[in-house]
Amino acid sequence: MRVPYWNIGYGYAIDLLAFPVLVIFLSGLYNHYRKIRKGQERFKKSPDKEHSRPGPFFISSVLTKGILGTRIYRKFFTGLAHGLVFWGMATLSLGTLLVLADVVLKLPVFSGAFNRWFMSFGLDLAGISVLTGLIFFLVRRLFPPDRLVTPKERKGLFPMAGLLAVIIVTGFLTEAMRIKALGPDPASFIGNFVSGLLPAGVLSTTFHRYLWWLHGFLALGFVAYIPYSPMVHMVLAPVNIALADPRPGPKMGVIDFSFFDDEEEDPENSPALGVAKLGDFTRKRLLDFDTCLWCGRCHEVCPAAQTQQPLSPKKVVLTLAELLAANRFTDELPEVLGSDAIFSCTTCAACMEACPISINQPKTIMQIRQNLAMERSELPELMSKAYNSLEQRRHPFFGTGSGPKDWQKGLDVPVFERGKTEYLLWAGCVATYDERAQKIARAMVNILSHAGISYGVLSKPRCTGDPAKQMGNEFLFTEIARENIEEFSDLQIEKIITLCPHCYNSFTRHYPELGGRYEVIPHSVLISRLIASNLLPVSSDGSSFCYHDPCYLARRNHIEETPRQVLEAIGNLVEMPRSKRESFCCGGGGGNYWSEPSGVRINQVRAKEALDTGTDMIATSCPFCLLMLTDGVKKYTEDNKVFDIAELIDARLRSG
Amino acid sequence: MHIAALAKVVPDYEVPAGDFELAGNRAHSRYTRMIGLYDENAVETGIQLKEKYGAVLSIISYGSSADVPILRKAIAMGADDLSIVQGDSDDPFVIAANLKMAIEQMNDIDLVLAGQQSADLDRGVVHAILAEMLGCTFLAQISEIESGNGAWTVRQNHENGSRMLRLSGRAVFSITSSPQNVPRIPAVRAIMAAKKKPVGKLQGIETPPMQAGEVKVEIPKMESVCEFLSLDDLGQTAKTLLGKLREERYL
Ligand code: SF4
Ligand code: SF4
Repeated sequence: MRVPYWNIGYGYAIDLLAFPVLVIFLSGLYNHYRKIRKGQERFKKSPDKEHSRPGPFFISSVLTKGILGTRIYRKFFTGLAHGLVFWGMATLSLGTLLVLADVVLKLPVFSGAFNRWFMSFGLDLAGISVLTGLIFFLVRRLFPPDRLVTPKERKGLFPMAGLLAVIIVTGFLTEAMRIKALGPDPASFIGNFVSGLLPAGVLSTTFHRYLWWLHGFLALGFVAYIPYSPMVHMVLAPVNIALADPRPGPKMGVIDFSFFDDEEEDPENSPALGVAKLGDFTRKRLLDFDTCLWCGRCHEVCPAAQTQQPLSPKKVVLTLAELLAANRFTDELPEVLGSDAIFSCTTCAACMEACPISINQPKTIMQIRQNLAMERSELPELMSKAYNSLEQRRHPFFGTGSGPKDWQKGLDVPVFERGKTEYLLWAGCVATYDERAQKIARAMVNILSHAGISYGVLSKPRCTGDPAKQMGNEFLFTEIARENIEEFSDLQIEKIITLCPHCYNSFTRHYPELGGRYEVIPHSVLISRLIASNLLPVSSDGSSFCYHDPCYLARRNHIEETPRQVLEAIGNLVEMPRSKRESFCCGGGGGNYWSEPSGVRINQVRAKEALDTGTDMIATSCPFCLLMLTDGVKKYTEDNKVFDIAELIDARLRSG
Repeated sequence: MHIAALAKVVPDYEVPAGDFELAGNRAHSRYTRMIGLYDENAVETGIQLKEKYGAVLSIISYGSSADVPILRKAIAMGADDLSIVQGDSDDPFVIAANLKMAIEQMNDIDLVLAGQQSADLDRGVVHAILAEMLGCTFLAQISEIESGNGAWTVRQNHENGSRMLRLSGRAVFSITSSPQNVPRIPAVRAIMAAKKKPVGKLQGIETPPMQAGEVKVEIPKMESVCEFLSLDDLGQTAKTLLGKLREERYL
């Protein structure tokens, strides 16, 4: 039987030293907490909820993304190395605690099968796992991929990983010295191996004693230093994941503007709209910044960063993390980050999807954009024209050559009648005012008539207000949404068919918070159901279709399969390398449909990716994506290759 | 320094020609109403002068009190107060007389700014008549204004360039659009503050109109005819296209 603290006089001193170390560790964590507390409370919706609700805690997310690290494994080798270090360290820590339990509680951990399989074999296996993982990380830091060093590499990880490797090595050497002195331990396969390498005649008991203390001090030093180093992510990441709403997308919510309605209140003294300074963020956002690993997975997938636009989500988060670390709560963030960067975000949420620790980068960016739009009225030129049009005409298509009913020319489109019509066909502003996109609305009218669906349109077309929200003007969005909700109530509308994923997202995510609750169905989903119920007789003609997932359907609402089922009913589906939740944006989101083209264009990159599949046609189910990709494809071919799913079905119904 | 900017509320000036219709000889009431395009440039110019010289900027409009919520945008942009002279005449002489009345009631106006032409009738005459009535200098197509040593220095735009002019005393300028006076977007709190500002309402005065009566109003019908040319022989297609363009006198 093994004896704890063999060959070590006053070995329990290391356990006593653990107490001051714990104090240093906790005081380091408290410093993080103090800074994060400077943010705004997360829930301040009504006075009665103030100070009372801690906010939701998502246990399943902690278990999956936090403890199992499911997102990390999307990069297999990094995930594996991380898993080796994490689970190895967890096992080694448990082993250390068991030794303490043996000394204090006389728990017989060093006897029998438990000793053999856990304390000897298990801990050796854990140690070698950690070492393997660390070697991967150390080598990778020497030859880092672009995402780790662009725009900046995090300092402090290399020394801490190196220190941990030294702790593991000294641990193995201590074990080897003990084995050298006492004879082989059958299950300690690493200890036995290292002991075999030691030269004969080495003063094993003396070296063992020194190494034991060195190993102990280094380990205590490592633990004490965790909160002061990037390794603090071990603690912060699970907390951050636990507090992150697991629904997909940035979850912008709506802003309560009732303050302004109060006759007594001076609007000039109302709280800041959006975020201008670090302290305007909620505590959850500050925790996001503090937790960021600087891993660059967001940078790698961001359409803006990948096309040399001024935005990198990693840069945004790490810049804010640096301000937080330096306690700089008064810097004006639009100046620090650059408003051109803030407006380059397409709100595609690819960064969020890629982030292993559930950081909400788009919300951070959008909240600063809200401040620029609502407090400073600073919008890029084209966006401000679209905004003006939206404000004055209730649609953003300034200079359009189309009247509100032009898309209906030659069609018999019923108007929604209260109590008679089942579905409201919501054309949305793009399919109303853009000539190319009008074909989607026309196709959908034919499809619905063919399938015998009871539907109608509004007598005066409207926009959901989503472009205003995306441009950062939540106030205008709320105004338009309330007007719509009022009209829907008058007409007793309950079911809505949308042609645009942005409208779908607005109706399902934001309208309920303003009192508008409807059953909303995206047109691609409805078409899929109609085909499945044999109401649309279509068959495959052997054409190939490459489906471009709109961010607001796939990533934000997890609608990926149904549009594919529609295409599979009429031909062969081909996939781009980046598809479904990992789709690459068309470049038109976040109001960037109205942005000045500069540098590499996102829509051209995506169009090329689609054309490279050798597909006959590119299909999508978003009018913005349709317009962006139609434009992007022009760089490579004269042929019109981009179609909405509704157009493809309608054409086959006609020819059938 | 007290500046008055004149603003008129007009039907949407971007209604596509194919969608435009008249009702009672005027744009159909279904069109959204908004501050005229150049009038917003005038308001913006006024705000810039206010910011630069610490002036007071008053907005004066002639129209219906239903226009007030739309005109509040000018306050939200940065003007100090808003007065509306209530009336419904289209006659430039009547409008000018009413605006003169409002300006004179303010007593201390040093400068009047107006959009170079309204976005509905595009006449561009009211400001000139107003200047005549006020007995002060009128300059058209102004894009920049500076004040110093008791004089105004202004840039007047022409089709192919511009010239600088200097004048002193009270003046009326018609403002053209320029990159410097792109109307700002009001901030949200300014919009909300503007909603709470009191508005001066003046009863319009009766005054004889100009000696011209409206006989008929017409808008051209939009027609688009599309012809596809064969692409078999590109050289021949180019010739045919040239011939057709000459025939229609486009070349
Ligand atoms: S939402 Fe999209 S565009 Fe915006 S930062 Fe994230 S990845 Fe980049
Ligand atoms: S925000 Fe997330 S994905 Fe981006 S660098 Fe930080 S941890 Fe990595």
